[in-house]
Amino acid sequence: MARSKKFLITDLLYIAGMILPLLAGMVLKILTEPPTSGISIAGARVFFRVKFPIQDLLISEAQINSWLVIVTILFFCLYMAHGLTVECKTRRQRLAEWIVETVDRLVADNMGPYFSGYSAFIISILALSAFSSLLSLLGLFPPTSDINVVAGWAILIFILITHYKLKGGFLNYLKGFTEPIFVMAPLNVLGEIATPVSMAFRHYGNVLSGTVISVLIASALNAASALLIGWIPGVLGDLSLLRIGLPAILSIYFDVFSGCMQAYIFAMLTMLNVSGAVPWEAYEKRKRKKEAKKQTI
Amino acid sequence: MQNLDVISVNLWSILISLANLIILFLIIKKFLYKPVKKMMDARKEAIDEQYRRAKQAENDALLHKKEYEEKLSGAKEEAEQILRRAEQNAKDRERDILGDAKAESERILRRAEENAAMEMKKAEDTIKNEIVDVSAKLSEKILKREISKQDHALLIDDFINGIEGEDYEDRQ
Repeated sequence: MARSKKFLITDLLYIAGMILPLLAGMVLKILTEPPTSGISIAGARVFFRVKFPIQDLLISEAQINSWLVIVTILFFCLYMAHGLTVECKTRRQRLAEWIVETVDRLVADNMGPYFSGYSAFIISILALSAFSSLLSLLGLFPPTSDINVVAGWAILIFILITHYKLKGGFLNYLKGFTEPIFVMAPLNVLGEIATPVSMAFRHYGNVLSGTVISVLIASALNAASALLIGWIPGVLGDLSLLRIGLPAILSIYFDVFSGCMQAYIFAMLTMLNVSGAVPWEAYEKRKRKKEAKKQTI
Repeated sequence: MQNLDVISVNLWSILISLANLIILFLIIKKFLYKPVKKMMDARKEAIDEQYRRAKQAENDALLHKKEYEEKLSGAKEEAEQILRRAEQNAKDRERDILGDAKAESERILRRAEENAAMEMKKAEDTIKNEIVDVSAKLSEKILKREISKQDHALLIDDFINGIEGEDYEDRQ
């Protein structure tokens, strides 16, 4: 099928919109990288510090990279949804439909029909988490290795969980803490808070530990190659020859596999926790009561 | 410019990240999920429509088939009826014609018989007259005298009647 020139130009614009933010992030990284920094383990670089109540507002590398990822995903969505037809002629549309169908099925299997509207949310969690972690492939700071980023997601999910727990009424929610016996209340409260904390730390810890191990191995290889060929005078002696190869293989696990795995786990936990939060019996009872009230009026 | 510690909690960063996820959710919902879903639903509807139309066409075809079959069987019956009627007609005709012919032939025969009987009678009369004449001449010659024709005829008639009567009795 012959596409119009306008269509192709729009396509190119979208692709540019996908690639340019990543390039911009790389340029920013290169420009702001202090020349003396060798191999080190540190948090995100802070670009601006704005005075705010309670705490300063930090515009850090993690935030910037998150926004870059969001822009990339936005253009990716525009590109995928460009030129959709009922007949599903393009490979692009087939991929887009595969994504939607797979997540729909995932949501239907894990959450049930009541939460069928959650597909878009699950897609966005998967995409944001996976793309953020995969940024490390480009040498950028992965936002998911900043606790604040993942904690924000976990708190949003905690809000959702609490929202669904309150579906059965506030008293029912409070009563849930005293089960099975009253003495368990503090533990139950702790358990409630533990859910988002564990989700945040699991994700953050996995991505950060990948970075840490990569750095440790890199420095170890540096030392080993210094021992091996350090006696050669000149530039050749400074070359860390052993760093070629092995870190790339480890990166497949720590960056690609672990990144995608954590995204999947985070989405899975979201689905299970949110769908398990609804107290069905109390919810049904409350709904019936409300309807009865409506009828009497 | 400095780096953060590996673990450093910042309230605003958390809020920004939370907002980021919500924004991305809205983006994906508006630009990816809804358009793709709409297309899929439209396709599903189109397929359902096709199926429904196919089903309807099938039903129509079956209905037509039934109709045609009924019509066909009706036509067959009609043809048979026509044939039967024609046969009946032919038979009637045959019978009529045969009857007519028979009557005609009987009539012809009867007339022929009548004619023959009439001819016979005529011939009988002629022969009788001739016999009378001949016998009158013979007896004239024999008797040499004239017998009145009237007497003579009377005489012969008696004679012939007598013969006829004897013949009749003989035959009996």
